[in-house]
Amino acid sequence: MTDPNAPFTLDPADLPPPAETPQTAAQPDAPPPAMVRAAGLGRRRGGWLGKVFWGALGALVLVLATNALTVTINDLISRNAVFGQIALVLLGLLLFTVLIALIRELAALSRLASVETARAASVAARSGTMAEARAAAETVVKLYRNRADVRWGKAELAGRMAELVDPDALLDVTERELLAPLDRAAEQEVVSAARQVATVTAVVPMAAADVVVALVTSTRMIRRIAEIYGGRAGTLGAWRLFRAVMAHLVATGAVAVGDDLISSVLGGGVLSKVSRRFGEGVVNGALTARVGLAAMEVCRPMPFVATKRASVTSVVQRALTGLFNGRG
Amino acid sequence: MVLRDGADWVLRQIEGAQSEVSELLFEPVTRLGVTGLSRAGKTVFITSLVANLMDRGRMNQMRAVAEGRISAAYLEPQPDDDVPRFQFETHRGALYADPPHWPASTRAISQLRLSLRTHGGGLLSGFTGARASHLDIVDYPGEWLLDLSLIDKGYADWSREVLALAEHPARAGLGAEWRALMAETAPGDALDETRAQALATAFAAYLQESREAGFSNITPGRFLLPGDLEGSPALTFAPLPPGAPGGAKSLFRAFERRYDAYRRLLVKPFFRDHFARIDRQVVLVDLLAALDAGPAALEDLRASMAAVLSAFRPGRNTWLSGLLGKRVDRILFAATKADHIHHSQHARLAGLMQALVREAADRAQYRGAAVEAMAIAALRATVEQEVTRGGREIGVVRGRQGQGAEAVVHPGGLPDDPTRLLAAARSGAETWPEGLAYSATRFLPPILSAAPGEGPPHLRLDRAAEFLLGDRL
Repeated sequence: MTDPNAPFTLDPADLPPPAETPQTAAQPDAPPPAMVRAAGLGRRRGGWLGKVFWGALGALVLVLATNALTVTINDLISRNAVFGQIALVLLGLLLFTVLIALIRELAALSRLASVETARAASVAARSGTMAEARAAAETVVKLYRNRADVRWGKAELAGRMAELVDPDALLDVTERELLAPLDRAAEQEVVSAARQVATVTAVVPMAAADVVVALVTSTRMIRRIAEIYGGRAGTLGAWRLFRAVMAHLVATGAVAVGDDLISSVLGGGVLSKVSRRFGEGVVNGALTARVGLAAMEVCRPMPFVATKRASVTSVVQRALTGLFNGRG
Repeated sequence: MVLRDGADWVLRQIEGAQSEVSELLFEPVTRLGVTGLSRAGKTVFITSLVANLMDRGRMNQMRAVAEGRISAAYLEPQPDDDVPRFQFETHRGALYADPPHWPASTRAISQLRLSLRTHGGGLLSGFTGARASHLDIVDYPGEWLLDLSLIDKGYADWSREVLALAEHPARAGLGAEWRALMAETAPGDALDETRAQALATAFAAYLQESREAGFSNITPGRFLLPGDLEGSPALTFAPLPPGAPGGAKSLFRAFERRYDAYRRLLVKPFFRDHFARIDRQVVLVDLLAALDAGPAALEDLRASMAAVLSAFRPGRNTWLSGLLGKRVDRILFAATKADHIHHSQHARLAGLMQALVREAADRAQYRGAAVEAMAIAALRATVEQEVTRGGREIGVVRGRQGQGAEAVVHPGGLPDDPTRLLAAARSGAETWPEGLAYSATRFLPPILSAAPGEGPPHLRLDRAAEFLLGDRL
């Protein structure tokens, strides 16, 4: 029996190759920060039970509707051939338009997805190689292939591309040259939407009018912002965008925080002393501005790094300039 | 009438005083020291930096430029009357000449003032409007910086160190004449001026040879660029072999006095008048040339970098820290001529630079200075291409060489891990081990076409400028 503690040597060739050393082995993923998890909660779909329920319900309605339609048309044909044929042609037309609409929705969704892909790529490329950064920049350029308003920026970028040798430098230039003009346009949209909501709240004396206007204006604003950034949204896309924006707002806590701040910072405090309606107008405008800025972050094909995002305060100030006291 | 004239005069005086005070208080001056051993590219760096700050089309990585906050830049007469002006126009003329050539190198200190008019981006920007700030660029030879390490070193210590360095096998073949002279000299010999002259001349020749062989740890630096003190006693000394120092008239005592005079007349005034007033410092290093020259040159460079950084470390003795009212708060170590290698290797070059100054940089950082290492090219002389060789895609650079003919070069691959190079250098090897070979090329400046609003092409000069000056704009 030999001593188990005695020193010995082994020939490395007899052993299987070692697994990855701790230095090179992949680190276990740390849990994502709370904010990311919150965002995940915001956009999480229901469980499997919900899926089955909605799926079954949808299928049932579809079957019933098809059945009703078939029965009706058959009935029509058996009663009067001409009416029946007209109904058939109309049905065909209907199906055709639905198909077209569907294709357009799909195209819109894919555009939205490509914006998201571009953003993910540009985030990843920041710490990657130059080739990755070039590919990410190209993706963004491709999004604006047919756009006249960024033509200048594209030309400028093409000239700089060969000069730059750092991935983050290239992405910075891309962001500044291509997205800065779009940012300005999008901010203008947010400003005018905020102004509209604030005006209606302050002026229209109907109780529910402000809610309706806020909803309609926000939805339209989100759509316009998405269009400016190159992700033209269809109806489905708009819904998806709306959800994404709301999830973003919840995740960043922008809805809850600072409602009371706004009122005092922007003179809403004083305004609401003068008139309750005007105070409400300021707060509603500020909320719309928040939604708009969140929409900008969701729709932008690159995150804000080289350029600064506009602050809620500055947007609200611009929106309210001239509306209440001539100075905001 | 008299009363009104008097009142006018008083008002004018007050206005004049106001504008002077506001210039003192509200027009900040940043003194940027640019240094590097000779052929590191100081002159090209300053020329390109100034040209690019005047035409800012290629300076996108500077925040102030990208945000459009710099509205004007122009060259002002420089404020120090006793320092020569940096010959910006001549040097730029050399680069834009037909055919272009590299500008003449720095022989002494020179200075240039660039004034910038900027709009603030801060909280108070609405109140302040445009404001002026001045950038004083001070160019001085890196050899002078090495001399600063002599300030707190006695003659005997210095002598011993120089001789130890000369014993290194890589330097053994240099300065045969000086070695022969020294062999027949003892420190206790009586002072003979002819002999002293011969020793000093031979020693200077040895230093010159060392520099040409790629070594950088060379003191005293003024032996290489003597200027108008050539032949004076302050520049007529040499290290002496160990031995009894002898009496008051011995060679050792005489050289010791002259060494002290050198420190008093040349090193300290430079320190007091120029170096101690610098806010920001760039140290340019031609790392690629050292790699080309071999492991001994790289080790030498490391040692001289440590010596250079000790100059940025006041507090070691009291009079030094007393003199140092200001202190350098940002130091950039720039590996120049990064355009000689493909951009896929730039990160490794910067990594090597970082590893080289690591120890000293940690110390500076501990004291609150920001230190950064970058790979830059003040003037981009090459374009890049990819070629396939032996089934591998290799990045090469392409530029003008002697007689203006084009050359396509792959100078060799730098290793991912800079410690391999440093370890080889420290081990005292004669040549680089397998796979680390690197061969430098000399390129001519490119033929520049001046597009409106654009300075000369560069690599990361804007990033270097952002690090050095970004917070002052």
